[in-house]
Amino acid sequence: MTATTHVPAVRPRSRFVAIIRFTLQSCLPMRRWVGVLLPSLGALLFALLSRAADAPAPEAFAHVAAEGIFSLLVPVAALVIGDAVLGAEVRAGTFQFTWLSPAPFWQIIVGRWLAGSAVALVTIAPACALAALVAGVPEAAGPAYLAGAAGSLAYIALFIAVASITRRTAVWSLAIVFLVERLLGAALSGIAQVSPTWLSRAVFVGHLDDPPRRLLRDGVPLGNDAVVRLAIVTTVSLLIALWRVRHMRLSGATD
Amino acid sequence: MSIVPPPGATPAHDPAFATDATVVVDELSVWFGPKVALSELSCSFGPGVTGLLGPNGAGKTTLLRAMAGLTTVNQGSVRVEGRDPRRDRRVHGRVALVPEDEAVPAGLTARQFVRYIADLNAVADRGAPDAALSAVGMLEDADRRVDGFSKGMRQRTKVAAALVKDPQILVLDEPLNGADPVQRVHLISLFKQLGSSGRTVIVSSHVLNEVERLAERVIVLIHGRLAAAGDYHAIRDAMDDRPRHVLVRTDDPRGLAAELVGLDAVGGVTFDLPRDGLVIQTLQAREFAMALPRLAREASARLLEVRALDDSLESLFRELVR
Repeated sequence: MTATTHVPAVRPRSRFVAIIRFTLQSCLPMRRWVGVLLPSLGALLFALLSRAADAPAPEAFAHVAAEGIFSLLVPVAALVIGDAVLGAEVRAGTFQFTWLSPAPFWQIIVGRWLAGSAVALVTIAPACALAALVAGVPEAAGPAYLAGAAGSLAYIALFIAVASITRRTAVWSLAIVFLVERLLGAALSGIAQVSPTWLSRAVFVGHLDDPPRRLLRDGVPLGNDAVVRLAIVTTVSLLIALWRVRHMRLSGATD
Repeated sequence: MSIVPPPGATPAHDPAFATDATVVVDELSVWFGPKVALSELSCSFGPGVTGLLGPNGAGKTTLLRAMAGLTTVNQGSVRVEGRDPRRDRRVHGRVALVPEDEAVPAGLTARQFVRYIADLNAVADRGAPDAALSAVGMLEDADRRVDGFSKGMRQRTKVAAALVKDPQILVLDEPLNGADPVQRVHLISLFKQLGSSGRTVIVSSHVLNEVERLAERVIVLIHGRLAAAGDYHAIRDAMDDRPRHVLVRTDDPRGLAAELVGLDAVGGVTFDLPRDGLVIQTLQAREFAMALPRLAREASARLLEVRALDDSLESLFRELVR
């Protein structure tokens, strides 16, 4: 190899930082940002709709946030991010460039999750808080941000795990959200207790001063306890992804 | 030199096995559902350039991916410097794979991509990415996005990304795809240089005439099995008992044909009118080559051109799969 410039050797750059930077630069192109921002704008639309409801603003927004924002928009926006940071790359055949390096798998998985989480923290979570302001319930902005952040971070980890198991990330992820969480989770408390949808609702509701009774559910922890439960779901999802990526059988884009 | 390893051959005598092997493939079988990609393949690779050849579907890419650890093996093993590339992450600091497919990370410039690979491999030299891009002639385009590159430029960028970590074992799957003639010459020279510097360079390609110029040693796979191994010309010599075709251009085709049909070494003679010559099929190329000048003299025919028509790897494939 012919060197054109002589640059003295220095300490190598951090792999972990390189993975995060790469994820932000390469895995999240403009159309993915649009895909995240559209549901985030949808949260504002839901907030406007809550103003038309025939109920006090806090109660109306609480219902809209629980049913519309945390159960629909947050998972969809998080899916766009979660698929981008791993699933799309596996399908495109470019993940092998990262896999074929001595970088530890935990750095690869956690780095990608952190990059995706950073995007969620500046898009999904602020949109949830902004929705509370638009709905005329500023005291709910903090709980909404916390619930949006905790829920989307858990979802991104979950969707990374799905991407490490199947190439059809979007199909399986939507099936988990709408069939398992919404449909089965509504009937079975056991599913709701580990469901990011139900837990992010519980984070939000648990931090409200006077939550509507209809939004409280037996068996599902509230407030900070739900945050802890979401952290456990996130950790377990990342561990599954770590185990799966270690045993991944990667093929090229043309295979 | 043998076409296929003789039964019971030991690695020391078998052309499929390299001396000072860095990559050892032992009874390797890989299948995808009902499709068998590799079947009980045993061979090894050592310092220098080795060409991995075979028709489409022969299992070349599967073998290269197994060497890099990308593909799980169903039976047998692959060892890279004594380590399992599937389990030991340290292998990836020593091996670099240039994959065949065109996929490159979106949204990155060539310099950003190569720098990312350098960072992943903890390369301390900040000038290494530019040096690698320069080595493949991509420095001028280093700030252009790789997803906007032509196929040849993508391949060269991937080669740069492989070189940036200064690998001891370089695994190249069709690296000359899409490269223009000048770039091909440049890349071939680069690979030979890497091979002669003691690195193990394994190149799979369909650009057969270039592999002939590039590789000191050839491994031929057909239907997932080892079909031939050794020096290209040695393999071809070992096929002396198989028919070869020779074009003979002369000023008196009919007279020369009459003399040739009586020769034992000649299996058939056909007139090649477009080329104004004869195509001779022979089973004994050496005897034919010795007899031809004498017979031409006896027929008072002037020889204008004598050329083997099938002294190429394409013909080798045709013969081996027959």
